Amino acid sequence: MSGTRRKMSVVPCSGIGKSLGAAAREAAFILAEDLRPATTKIVALSLLVMGDEEAEREVAGGEAVAIDGCKLECAAKGLACSGAARVHKVAVFDVIRRHRGLKPGGVCDLNEDGLRLARATADEAAKIVDDADAEGGHA
Amino acid sequence: MPNVPRKKVGLISCSGEDLPEGTVTRRAVREVLETLRPDDTVTLCLPLFLAGGEGERSFARYYPTIAVDGCDKRCAARATEKYSAKPAVSIVVSETAKAAECRDIGPARHLNEAGKQLADSVAGLIAEETDRLLKKPGRKTPLSAADVCGCSCGSGLPSGTVRISGRATRVAGLPLIFARFREQELGLNEKTGAALLENVKIYNEVPDSQKQAWKEALLREYAQFLQEKD
Repeated sequence: MSGTRRKMSVVPCSGIGKSLGAAAREAAFILAEDLRPATTKIVALSLLVMGDEEAEREVAGGEAVAIDGCKLECAAKGLACSGAARVHKVAVFDVIRRHRGLKPGGVCDLNEDGLRLARATADEAAKIVDDADAEGGHA
Repeated sequence: MPNVPRKKVGLISCSGEDLPEGTVTRRAVREVLETLRPDDTVTLCLPLFLAGGEGERSFARYYPTIAVDGCDKRCAARATEKYSAKPAVSIVVSETAKAAECRDIGPARHLNEAGKQLADSVAGLIAEETDRLLKKPGRKTPLSAADVCGCSCGSGLPSGTVRISGRATRVAGLPLIFARFREQELGLNEKTGAALLENVKIYNEVPDSQKQAWKEALLREYAQFLQEKD
């Protein structure tokens, strides 16, 4: 087996209308830059859906994590159409239910609760990445 | 009852995570929405747009949009054109940054001060374009009060001119129909298009082969009518 493993693609929705979309985006950065930089890589949803070859290559045939802010699950839908072999869904709107009391606010600059929500979302995503890594699914 | 959209400009940012310029697009658009032109703009969520959000696509089909992209791949502009209509304005942040000789703007996750200043500049540009679009002179007036179709009973039925399949077509009763639809707060959607066509058919001969073209043209004119009234 090669020493270099393929990184798992992380695609946040980055919705601009609500704080939950911003939390999804921030969670992706926390995951790919702080928690699991060696095993994950962010792929921009806009590039992917608009057919950017490099973005498609990153995703094709591998496992990927979609981090969505709202129930419309735009990131998961975009990934599903982009050749990913398996799409793991992480939903900020579900994570917030498990962290009652958080009141995320702001979009460009999330408030403290928004950042906590992003961190909690990233933690859940990291567990998914670790489980997949243990299975060797995205190697 | 659906709400009639007010006359606004739609802003679509790419929000790309690959480049800091993507974050600039996001920040600039939010600044316009929240601070600079809150009454004149709405944001259209690009992910939703791409995933098939009909509300977003319908808005962009009938109202002017400004696409704000981080790089010359222009995902937001291309998506808008592909799924709705060509954006009225396309801004590419990497080009704006180059023109301003702004090089280091920090990482995508956290822009540095130069990045935030660049976002402010882009926001100003968006606001200017918004003003220009909303005050655009010479907009075609779809309906003229002077346009009246004669009737054998001697009464006058106001009419309007609509471009259908590239041809200017006189449509009897149009001002009254549009006014009634506006009173009923009927929004811009497929159902309204079908209802417009049914009403128009009462006073006008619409060939079966042209029904779709008429429906689309009527919706387009109705959108302009609402813009001018609101």
